Amino acid sequence: MSSNVKARAALAAASLWVATPALAQAPQPGAPAAESPPAAQPTITKPPALVQQVEAQYPAEALAQGLTASVRLIITIAEDGAVTDVQSAELAGHGFDEAAIAAVRQFRFTPAEVDGVPAPVQVEYVYHFTLNAPPPPEGQVAAEPEAPKATLTGQLISRGSRSRVAGATVRCGDDAEATEAVSDVDGRFTLEVPPGECAVRVIASGHQLYQTKETLKANETTEVNFYLAPAGSAFETVVRSERPKKEVVRRTVTREEAQKTPGTFGDPIRVLQTLPGVARAPFISGDLLVRGSNPGQTATLMDGVRIPNLFHLLGGPSVVNAEFIDSLDFFPGGYGSQYGRAVGGVVDVATRKGAADTVHGSVKVDLLDAGFFIEAPITDGISVAASARRSYIDTLLPMVLPDDEGSTLSIVPVYWDYQLRVDFGAPRGSTPEPGAARSTGYIMAFGSDDKLRLVSGGEEENRDISLDTHTVFHRVKGDWTYRKGPLTTVFTPYVGVDYFDISFGQYIENDSIYSLGAREVVSLELSDALTLRTGLDVYFEHVKVDVQAPSPEGTEYVPFPGNDPVAELIHEKLTINGFDGALFAEMDFKWGPLTVTPGVRGNLQKVGGTRNLLLDPRLWVRYMATERTSLKGSLGLYSQPADTYQFIFSPYGNPLLGYQRAFQSSLGVEQRLGDVWNVDVTGFFNRRFENVVAPGDVRATDGGSFTQDRFVNAGIGKAYGVELMVKKDRAAATDKWYGWLSYTLSHAEDGRAGAKPRVDGAFGDDGPPVVNEQTYGLSLWDQTHILTLVANYVLGNGWELGGRFRLTTGRPTTPLVHPHDVYNSDSNNYGPTYGRHLSARTSTFHQLDVRVEKGWRFDNWTLALYLDVQNLYNAENVEFVFNDYRYRNEMEIPGIPILPVLGVKGSF
Amino acid sequence: MNTWLKYGGLLLTLGAVACVDPDDKPSNVHDLRVLGIAVERPELMAPTCELTAEALEVLTNEVSYRALVVDPKGEGRSIAYTLWACADPEDTLCENTAERVQLAQGTMTPGELVVPIRPGASVLSDGTLLLDKVRQADPYEGFGGLRMPLVLNLTAGSEAIYAQKLMVFSCPLVPGMAPNQQPELQGLRLEGQPWAEEALPELTGQGPFVITAEDVSALEEAYVVPGFRREAVSLKEAWSISWHASLGEIPDEETGGADFNGEPGRHRVEWEPPEKDGVAQEVTFWAVARDGRGGSTWLIRKARWSP
Repeated sequence: MSSNVKARAALAAASLWVATPALAQAPQPGAPAAESPPAAQPTITKPPALVQQVEAQYPAEALAQGLTASVRLIITIAEDGAVTDVQSAELAGHGFDEAAIAAVRQFRFTPAEVDGVPAPVQVEYVYHFTLNAPPPPEGQVAAEPEAPKATLTGQLISRGSRSRVAGATVRCGDDAEATEAVSDVDGRFTLEVPPGECAVRVIASGHQLYQTKETLKANETTEVNFYLAPAGSAFETVVRSERPKKEVVRRTVTREEAQKTPGTFGDPIRVLQTLPGVARAPFISGDLLVRGSNPGQTATLMDGVRIPNLFHLLGGPSVVNAEFIDSLDFFPGGYGSQYGRAVGGVVDVATRKGAADTVHGSVKVDLLDAGFFIEAPITDGISVAASARRSYIDTLLPMVLPDDEGSTLSIVPVYWDYQLRVDFGAPRGSTPEPGAARSTGYIMAFGSDDKLRLVSGGEEENRDISLDTHTVFHRVKGDWTYRKGPLTTVFTPYVGVDYFDISFGQYIENDSIYSLGAREVVSLELSDALTLRTGLDVYFEHVKVDVQAPSPEGTEYVPFPGNDPVAELIHEKLTINGFDGALFAEMDFKWGPLTVTPGVRGNLQKVGGTRNLLLDPRLWVRYMATERTSLKGSLGLYSQPADTYQFIFSPYGNPLLGYQRAFQSSLGVEQRLGDVWNVDVTGFFNRRFENVVAPGDVRATDGGSFTQDRFVNAGIGKAYGVELMVKKDRAAATDKWYGWLSYTLSHAEDGRAGAKPRVDGAFGDDGPPVVNEQTYGLSLWDQTHILTLVANYVLGNGWELGGRFRLTTGRPTTPLVHPHDVYNSDSNNYGPTYGRHLSARTSTFHQLDVRVEKGWRFDNWTLALYLDVQNLYNAENVEFVFNDYRYRNEMEIPGIPILPVLGVKGSF
Repeated sequence: MNTWLKYGGLLLTLGAVACVDPDDKPSNVHDLRVLGIAVERPELMAPTCELTAEALEVLTNEVSYRALVVDPKGEGRSIAYTLWACADPEDTLCENTAERVQLAQGTMTPGELVVPIRPGASVLSDGTLLLDKVRQADPYEGFGGLRMPLVLNLTAGSEAIYAQKLMVFSCPLVPGMAPNQQPELQGLRLEGQPWAEEALPELTGQGPFVITAEDVSALEEAYVVPGFRREAVSLKEAWSISWHASLGEIPDEETGGADFNGEPGRHRVEWEPPEKDGVAQEVTFWAVARDGRGGSTWLIRKARWSP
C-alpha cells in the first residue's frame, strides 16, 4: 500500500477533571449534567483550548505493518496552559503510546478557568494515528467542478442514561483529511460530506468507538440518532479528583461509592463507617463514632443544613437518599471555622443538581422500601431534581406476625422521605467572560416522615399496649452564589419545621420545633498569597412542648424501688426559644509550598435567660513538600451547643447548660502515587470537656424541696490514634476497579468529671456507665484496631463485583464476678457484682460483605439487579453481652447472620 | 432524635434478648432463693415530723420481719442467716461495719423465716441512732421518708445470698398521708377454678395451664406523697405479683404494676410444664405480691402434675 503517513489528534474535550490543587469538579462523561456539582462547589467556567499542536512521529514498525491506533491520554494542564503531565489511559501498543505522549508533551493550551480564574485541570485526549492514501503526483491536480454534498445531522446519546454526548467527533471513514463535526452541548452535530456510503466513526470521551454505515444522497439531509455505549461501568462513571484541602483530613465519598459499597444497603451514611477514624457501630446502627466521640457529637448536614433525624425508625436507612446525593464530604476533625455545632466530626452531604440535557430518572425497589429519582431541565438554565422513597414493611409484617386467638399483635412502621432541588444558572453552553459577575442558585426542600403503631393485648395477654409515634421534619433552603473576580459569596437561608408526637397509654406528647437559619460565606482572594474567608452562621428555633403524663417518679416525688404506682396526670405546655449564632473568619497565607491558615469562630448561644459566649481559635498548616507529597497539621477548639429543649426547667432539663467543648489536633502526611493511588497517614489527639451528660446530682431547692437536673456539663473524654487511608480511584471510564484500605489505631476514653450522681436519672442515664463508683475510663466505643477493606471490580458484560471486609477489636465490657447473689426484694431484681471497669472485651469482630450486580443497557434505559450479601461466611460476631437474671453468667449475643438482600433498579 | 434512637435501641435490644434462652429462669425455683420479704407493719409513720418522744416511740416500734426462703434441692439442709440493718441503701451487702447493726443471727430450714425486730431503735457502736445515719445517707434528706436497708445474708453450702428489704419510716409531711397497709392476696385460680391452699389439683399434659389472681384492685390503696414541685402527688398502688414454680416455667414471671404509660396490667400467667423428661410429681407454686411502696405478701399452692 502506498502510504503517506499522518498522525493527528482530536481533543475529546468532554472529560475534564481537576488536578490538585484546583478547586473544581467538572461534568463527568456518561452523565455530564447529572453529575455536575452543586452551585456552591467550584466548576469549570472555561475549558482549555488547544493552541499549539505537535504532530507525533508515526512508529516505524506500525507503519510498516499498516497499523492504525487511537491513543487515549490523560493530560494535566497547568494554570498557564502548559502540559505538565501526560499519562496513557489505556495502552495501544506498537509504539503508539510513546509517540503520542512525546508529541502531546509539546502541546500548549489556553488556560482553563475554574470559577472564573485560571486553574490546573486534567483532560482526556484521544490521539489518532491514521494511514492516508498517497497524494496525486505533482502536476496532475486539475481544477474540478464543485462536487455535490450530502448532509448528515443528528444527536449523540449515551446509551442507557440517554445523556447527550457533547464534544464528540463525528466523521466518515478513517481518512485524516475527512471532514469532522464536533457535537455541541446537546449532543447535536452536522456533517457535510460527499454523497455515497459513509463509514461513520464517532469518537467520544468515556464511550466506546461508535461505527456504522449510512448511505447519503447528494443534496439531501439525513437525520440520525446515534446511541453510544459508555466505556467501563455498566451504568455511569464517576471519576473524581480531589479539591484542594485546607483541612487536614477531608474524605469524599462519591455517589457510586455510596450506592455500591457492600453491606451498607446503599446507605450513604453507613458507608462512612468504612473510613478511617470511624469506629464500628454495634449491630445495624449507623451511629457515627468519630475519633473517640460519642453518638450525637458528629454533625450531619445536607448542603450545609443540619439533618435533624439522621435515620428512619428502628435503625432503618438514613434519611439521605443515595440517589439524590452528589457526594459526601467527611471531616473526622480539624474542620474549617465555617463549621461548628459539633465536638466530633462533620459530614456534609452535597446534593445532586438536576440534569440540564433531558429527563433522566431511576426507580429502585429492595427489601425495605421503593423509591424514585427524576431530573430534568425546565427551561434553559433551570433544572429540577426530585426523589422520594417509601417503606412497605407495614404491608409485609402482617404476613409474619403471629395470629393467635385471644391476643392481638399489630406493628405498623411506615417511613418516607423526599428531596427536591431546583437550580437556576446561566444557559447551557454559555461561558461567562473571565472576571464578569455571575450568579447561580438553587432552592431545595427535603424532609422525612416516620410513623410507628404498635398494638398488643387481648384476654390472653397480661397487659394492653398501644403505642403511636409520628416524627416529621421538613426543611427548605435557598442558595445564592455570586462570583465576581476574586470575590465569591454564598448565602444560604433556610427554614424548617419538626414534629414529634407520641401516644402511649396515658402518656401523650406533642412537640413542634420551628427553625430559621442562614449562613453567609464570603471568600476573597486578595492576592496569590492571601485569601480571606469570613461569614456568619445563625440559627433560631422556637420549641413548643405539650406533654400529658403520669407524674414520673424521681422527678415529681421520691421514688421507691419496685413496681410503679398509677400516678396522677400532669400536663405541661411550654415554649422555649433558642438562638445560636457564630461569626467566623480565616485567612490562607501562602509562602511558596507552605500554607498557613489561622481562623476563629465566635459563638453565642442564648436560650431563655442563659447566654453562652466563647471563641474557638483554630490553625491549619499545609506544606507541599513536592507536587505529590503534602505535610499537614491542625489544632483548635470546637464547641457544640446543647439542644434547646435541654434548657427547659429542672428536673426535665437544665436552664444553665453551657457549650460542650473539645480540643482537636492532628498531624499527617499524604502522598499521591501515580494518578490513581493516594496514601494518607494522620495522627490525632482530641480532648472533650464540659460535654452534656445525664443526669446531674440531686440538689436542694430554695423552697425546701429537691430537684435533679436532667443534664449537666460534666462529660469529659480523650482520644488519640493514627489513621491510614490507601485509596485507589478509577483513572478513567475503562478502569476496572476502585477501592480503599482504611485502618485506625486508636484509644478512646470517656466519662464524667466528679463523683457519680447519688440517684439514677429518672429518664435513664445518658453518658458512660458508672461501675463500682468509677466515673471515667475506656470509652464504650473504644476499638483499638479498625481495619476495613473495600473494593469494587467491573467484570464486564454488565457484571460488577464488590466486597467489604471488616476486622475490629471487640468493644470493652465490664466482667461479672459472682461471689454471691445480691437480691432486692422490693423490686424483685438481682444486682450485679462487677469486676474492674471495662477491663474485658468482646471477641474480635470480622465480617465479609459482598455485592454482585448485573446490568442490562438498552437504548433508552438501563436495568440493574443486585444482590447484597451481608456476613457472607456467617461469622458469629458478638454484638451484645447479656446476663442471666441473677448475674451469674454472661451470654454473648451474635449480630446479624448471613443476610442476602435482593434489589432492582431501573434508570433512564 | 434521641427518642428515636432510644426506641430503636430498645427494640433492637428486646429483639436480641428474645433470641436468648438461658437455662436459669427466674420463675423456675430449683436452688436456694429468697422469693420475698415482708415487714409487718410495712411502714412506721410518726404522728409528727418533729423528733419528739411520741414520734420516736412509733418509729422504734417492734415489727415482724418475714422472709420466704426456698431451697428445693437442699433436701432440708440447715441455712445460716444473719440480719443487719444499715444506713445506706446503696450498700446492698451492709458491708460498712461502722454503719450497721446486727438484728438477728441463727440457722433455719427452708420456709418462712420470722424474726421480731426493732430496726428504728438500732444504735450504732458510736451511740448514733441508725435512723439518723439513714437520713444523712439519703440524697433527699428524708423528704420522701427514710428507707432503712435490712439485709439478710443466707449461706448454705457454697451458695450465698444477700437480700435487701427497705424498711420505711415516715411522717405526715403533707396532709392526707397515711401509713401503708400490708397487701393481702385474695386467692388464686387455676384453669379458672378457685385454688385453695390445701387443695392438690391434678394437671395432666403440656398445658399451658392458666393461673390468675383474684381481683385485688379494690385493695390497692390510694395515697399521697410529698411532691418536689407541688406540695403533694396523688398515687394509687398497682400491685405486682411475681410467679414461681418448682417445676417448669412461667414465661411472664411478673405481672401487674403500672407501666411508663400509667396503665396497670392483669394478673394472668401460664404455667408450662417441662417439655421432655418430665415425671409425675407434686409441684409447688408461689405468688408473691408487692404494693410498690414496701408492702409484700405471698401465697403458696400445690398441684400434682403428670406428663
